[in-house]
Amino acid sequence: MNIRCAKPEDLMTMQHCNLLCLPENYQMKYYFYHGLTWPQLSYVAVDDKGAIVGYVLAKMEEPEPNEESRHGHITSLAVKRSYRRLGLAQKLMNQASQAMVECFNAQYVSLHVRKSNRAALNLYTNALKFKIIEVEPKYYADGEDAYAMRRDLSEFADEDQAKAAKQSGEEEEKAVHRSGGHGHSHNHSGHDGHCC
Amino acid sequence: MPSSDPLPPKEGALFRKLLKCYELKQYKNGLKLAKQILSNPKYMEHGETLAMKGLTLNGLGRREEAYKYVRLGLRNDLRSHVCWHVYGLLQRSDKKYDEAIKCYRNALKWEKDNLQILKDLSLLQIQMRDLEGYKETRHHLFTLRPSQHASWIGFAMSYHLLGDYDMANSILETFSQSQNVDCDRLKAPGCRSIACSQEQYPRALCPRRLPLNIANGDEFRVVTDEYMRRGLRKGIPPLFVNVRTLHQIPERAAVIEELALQYFENLTRSGHFSREDADAGIPVEPASALVWTALFLAQHYDYMRDTDRALEYINVAIDHTPTLIELLITKGRIFKHAGDPVEAYVWLEEAQSMDTADRYINSKCAKYMLRANMVQEAEEICAKFTREGVSAMDNLNEMQCMWFQTECALAYQRMGRWGESLKKCHEVERHFAEIVEDQFDFHTYCMRKMTLRAYVGLLRLEDVLRQHPFYFKAAKCAIEVYIRLYDKPLKSETTIEEIDIENLPPSELKKLRSKQRKAKKKAELESAQAAQAQVKREQHQKSKQQANQETDPDAPQLDELVAEKLERTDDPLDKAIDFLKPLQQLAKSASRRTYWPSSVLPQNKLLLMLQCIRCIIRFVKSLTSAAKEQPFNEHVQKVLEKATKELIGSKTPQQLNDEFIAKHNASILHLYEGARSLYELDNSKKAAAIKLVTSFNLAKLRLEEATKIYTALRDGDVFGDCEAEAASYQQACHQRFQYARIFRNVEELEAQLQEKEAAKLRAEEEQQQLIHVDSSEPVSVLATAAAAS
Repeated sequence: MNIRCAKPEDLMTMQHCNLLCLPENYQMKYYFYHGLTWPQLSYVAVDDKGAIVGYVLAKMEEPEPNEESRHGHITSLAVKRSYRRLGLAQKLMNQASQAMVECFNAQYVSLHVRKSNRAALNLYTNALKFKIIEVEPKYYADGEDAYAMRRDLSEFADEDQAKAAKQSGEEEEKAVHRSGGHGHSHNHSGHDGHCC
Repeated sequence: MPSSDPLPPKEGALFRKLLKCYELKQYKNGLKLAKQILSNPKYMEHGETLAMKGLTLNGLGRREEAYKYVRLGLRNDLRSHVCWHVYGLLQRSDKKYDEAIKCYRNALKWEKDNLQILKDLSLLQIQMRDLEGYKETRHHLFTLRPSQHASWIGFAMSYHLLGDYDMANSILETFSQSQNVDCDRLKAPGCRSIACSQEQYPRALCPRRLPLNIANGDEFRVVTDEYMRRGLRKGIPPLFVNVRTLHQIPERAAVIEELALQYFENLTRSGHFSREDADAGIPVEPASALVWTALFLAQHYDYMRDTDRALEYINVAIDHTPTLIELLITKGRIFKHAGDPVEAYVWLEEAQSMDTADRYINSKCAKYMLRANMVQEAEEICAKFTREGVSAMDNLNEMQCMWFQTECALAYQRMGRWGESLKKCHEVERHFAEIVEDQFDFHTYCMRKMTLRAYVGLLRLEDVLRQHPFYFKAAKCAIEVYIRLYDKPLKSETTIEEIDIENLPPSELKKLRSKQRKAKKKAELESAQAAQAQVKREQHQKSKQQANQETDPDAPQLDELVAEKLERTDDPLDKAIDFLKPLQQLAKSASRRTYWPSSVLPQNKLLLMLQCIRCIIRFVKSLTSAAKEQPFNEHVQKVLEKATKELIGSKTPQQLNDEFIAKHNASILHLYEGARSLYELDNSKKAAAIKLVTSFNLAKLRLEEATKIYTALRDGDVFGDCEAEAASYQQACHQRFQYARIFRNVEELEAQLQEKEAAKLRAEEEQQQLIHVDSSEPVSVLATAAAAS
């Protein structure tokens, strides 16, 4: 089993997995939209043969009128029934959340869940520390209400800062070596994957 | 920009307003403005206005008129870049990209530095993968607007796509030196290092699982023992799929089997995984551990295709915990692998009924139903999760649910409902066409968002999109059906079978008449229903078109797919080739990396390669016979001779085939192709050809292979009529694959069905009696299993 960032060629299989597991479905273009706007945020879980058995499809939202910071949103999360109880959903969610912080400085991540989906609610509240913000009546096409939930991401932000501090220390060291050596003129440090 | 046929100030202002209205999609206002200009007798033939009127009409979905006015406008003003541009936009919205490119090029002849036209041209060029053309256009745009961000990015991208990474890189570096660029926040994706220890990450999966791949001998037994015990104790349903890959090495599979059998024995006896545990007085394992162990053993034996033992263990598990859905799914899967799709679906339906809120089990149930050719039932099951107010079929099509559609196509194919099957195949094909179309908007979008790596990933994906297994399956099915229709075209609906009734005995005649009457009645009923459905469909289509016009005027309307029309096509081979072409083109560029799971591809490729031997033989055979009839042109002769020699040397087709058979006598699929060629080359060798495949050791045969051989014999379309051989082969296969329906007799199946109905009736009666006797006793369910499911 492995968890990795989703690539464009994974998006079709993610759609397939979504159609197998969940009632809320989207056309391919919507998956492309996610994968090509926020390529860092969506993750897949793959089995030993490389087949996709679960995914999280995520995006960033523009700040609400009274907010300053941006936040992430989970569009869809699914794990095939035959691969449940391995903790994959939790790992997928944590990867996506971490990327939201690292790449976009997200303060929190939001999602919607069916009121009746007890298994998912349990995962979100107990394992992932989401809080219910409000009930959105008749959110789903079949008339069911949704809970709008949020998870504060400052724990990831702290980790990220600690990591960044460590890394910038290393960068400086490297820079020293470099200037002593062959005098590179370009600075690639902005591309190490962390937020500037 | 100057017009070739300028309007005076008043009309000129109106024309500019007209352009604005088109941009803002205010088509009705646009038409009014056009009318105002054209109502002036002096300008009633003004080309650019007429063209714009046409384009505006296109926005309103009035395609035919649109073409009329745009062409009229162009004819009146052939030197206008506006008219050519408009004509290009119209063709583009009609998805005629090649034509649109020509129009843009004409427009640029009259206005070579027009930014908008150049940008539009570049989009079409990248969409059509005219990479050289794209590079030229991007270069042109770059020279025109060197200060713009997008000019640099597009210019660099064009080199990158041509594989000139140095040039692309140097453009970007020059650019980044000149600017203070906001760095792209691309985070290097990929898996995180797994070099982490178990103590450091106690919850992580990899550190526990990976040692199993590396360890050998006693060490393997120790780590596997630990891993399996943990999984069985916790009740992790995917434990088996998680160690399945280890089964590829027989010694490892044997260790796993041994361990699981040992657990099962000891759990049954003392509740411990091993005798040592029991002797050491360790507390007993949870009661559920036995169920999970039995499930594991059932999955293990199913993987080994030992159906009897798999069923033995799954039945133990189900007796222990009847409410655990995973057990029922596994039982269904065992029957599926054993070749009994009907029994398989029964268990999936049972599982589905126990958790109706889970779409995964719902989907699996529908899939099993389709494998049992129950299309309507499958649709009804799916409808529990599709949008209300729309038929499930329509909703699944709208959502591009391709697994369902390919399985439907295959079910219809098995039932000989060719038109329905083709309809599903074409629906899948259209999804792929749409997904290719989807990339269009991203050409500009990604440049703006600067998600360039993902964008290149998208382009590379789209290049090989039709390598996807869904396309392969649908195309294979469509090609087979079209070839079937070519070989045996359907009779047109009017010509009903004309049988020589004079020579029939009276009893037979009576039967025939009654049969005909019934058939006629049925046909009438069906056509009435079909007519009703047609009316409904048309209404639906209309309302959909109207809805589409409001949202997306650019979407061209596709013809509705009608099963009855599809199966009566005049050119089945051309249609088959349409499905085949993308596969051939992709096969040519096979050196490129493939994106889809390796588990699907090699097998398919192997099958294609197998067919090559017959292609070669057929080729040589038809070459000889064609040459006999009429000598080839001397040059053609030369080319053919050279190619043949390269292909097979100087051997005859017979020699070639004999060698092929001798070389591959251990592989039934090779022997099958060899046998086909043997028979095709010389019909008198029929018996030998059949013997070649039927004498293959059945113990070494897989169910799929036996099925292929048997259906070929049964249908008589490969080796000619051979009923007796088919019957005896069927019997032999039945001995080997007891559960497979295909090898069982109709009588046996019917008897089984009756027995089942009777048992069901008995069970219901007993149930009734029980309710009468005692209605207060609560049904006890194992708490552990409930928690686990």
